[in-house]
Amino acid sequence: MRSLCAGLATLLLSALPAAAEQLTIALSTNNIRIDSGFTGDALTVFGVIERDAATISRNSPYEIAVLVKGPTDTVVVRRKEPLLFFWVNRASETFTAAPSYYALNSTGPLDEIATPPLLARFGLGFANVPLQVAGAAEEATDPDFREAFIRLRKEAGLYTEFAGGVDFIGTSDSVFRTAAWIPSNAPDGRYTIEVYLFSGEVFLAHQQATLNVTKVGFEQFMFEASHNRALLYGLACVLLALFTGWLAGVVFRRD
Amino acid sequence: MLIYLPIAELSVNMFIIFGMGGAVGFLSGLFGVGGGFLLTPLLIFSGIPPVISVATVASQIVASSASAALSYWRRRMIDLKLATVLMLSGAVGTLIGVVVFNGLRSLGQLDLIIGVSYVTFLGTIGGLMLSESVRAILNTRRGRPAQLRRPGQHYWIHRLPLKMRFKRSKLYVSAIPVVALGVGIGFLGALLGIGGGFILVPALIYLLRVPTNVVIGTSLIQIVATMSVATILHAVTNFSVDIVLAIILMVGGVIGAQFGARVGQNMRGDHLRALLGLLVLAVAIRFLFGLVTPPEEAYSINTLAGGPM
Repeated sequence: MRSLCAGLATLLLSALPAAAEQLTIALSTNNIRIDSGFTGDALTVFGVIERDAATISRNSPYEIAVLVKGPTDTVVVRRKEPLLFFWVNRASETFTAAPSYYALNSTGPLDEIATPPLLARFGLGFANVPLQVAGAAEEATDPDFREAFIRLRKEAGLYTEFAGGVDFIGTSDSVFRTAAWIPSNAPDGRYTIEVYLFSGEVFLAHQQATLNVTKVGFEQFMFEASHNRALLYGLACVLLALFTGWLAGVVFRRD
Repeated sequence: MLIYLPIAELSVNMFIIFGMGGAVGFLSGLFGVGGGFLLTPLLIFSGIPPVISVATVASQIVASSASAALSYWRRRMIDLKLATVLMLSGAVGTLIGVVVFNGLRSLGQLDLIIGVSYVTFLGTIGGLMLSESVRAILNTRRGRPAQLRRPGQHYWIHRLPLKMRFKRSKLYVSAIPVVALGVGIGFLGALLGIGGGFILVPALIYLLRVPTNVVIGTSLIQIVATMSVATILHAVTNFSVDIVLAIILMVGGVIGAQFGARVGQNMRGDHLRALLGLLVLAVAIRFLFGLVTPPEEAYSINTLAGGPM
């Protein structure tokens, strides 16, 4: 829905008679491969702000926000509370469609590049990560869960925000670059890259691209097997264990 | 060297995991136990999700127990009939264990139950082991002979109905305690990621009076069988057996066990039992500590399922 809105916005803007800038972006890779040596990988996003003769000149400099989002999951956030002598998980909140990965790079502090309504509309900034609480709508949700979720994801290196992480290359004010780190604990799946162009807190243009993070070779084979042929996979694990045990008995036999 | 675990979906230092497997293998060879009760907590404390740890250690226990079980098999030190009854009831217990495991997991109480169970069982067994062995050590110091139990003694257990004859063990006992033991060990094994040898062996000796020459072999066979069932059930129901993690642990474990067994041969039985008791108690206390102290981070995240893209 959100991407549809954004798409419409772009469409509307580009329909305006040659007044607005055009964004063109490119990724350093469209496919990050997870193999046995995977310890994380960097994704670089390049972009060009295209103007033509008819484009009106701006009084304020261009500001850019680049948002890389991982596939979404349904997650439960639980809170431990004391019960008798023990600390026990008691209260919980379920978020549907929570991004597994969220990296936001921008040319400067978010509150300086766009107005709060714009940031909220595009889901820019930790305060605006689209987390929908499952269950009855607005049944006195506790903001602590949302905060805790984002804090834990930040600690895991999966949520990052870097004001100043987008640089214009050289002296140009139209060619920019930014990099996001996809850590090894990031899940595989389809990642979306959204680039927003602002100037003087006004939204000018949007562009998006996708990145596939996929397990390859042995890792992919094992993951597939464990999910789609679970019984065979389980049997294989047991046979492997029996074989290892037997082999150890043969190798280290003392009698 | 970092290696990516395809099921756990994170990368770990291979040598650290290998070292853990080796160290636990060493201790298991030294004490003649499976070591699941050490390995599962070690993995959990080092950041592997509890679900993956429990399920993967089940397969590791198969490997470490199988090699010992084979050598007892060759020497015919196994009561096959007793083992069969234990295995069948163990499979039932494992099934119940995996169902409870998955239920607790979706309720978010798995960590709590694992913690409480470790405290209860390890605390009890460790305490008993330690006090028994300290008494034995003190007795030998004072030059008194170790107390031997008279074979004619009977408990209420021996008066239960449904008697079965186990020729190899020279036993004529009710099937009820045997089945209960099998179910209980299978249940705990699947739930906690432990083989349960350290509970099964004393139970077979003290409760059922199984002769010591067949007790280890019989319990090993039972552990291989129930942990195999546990591995398969975990793999089928929660897809959490990580084969890469399992291989590293298995190789580390079987190598460590060889050295442990060699060192163990030069140590006295009561000293070994005292050390094992201490170790078991230490793990229990570590879990107790985690349960009663206010956590540094009260919140935790659990991913349920991939949502729509």
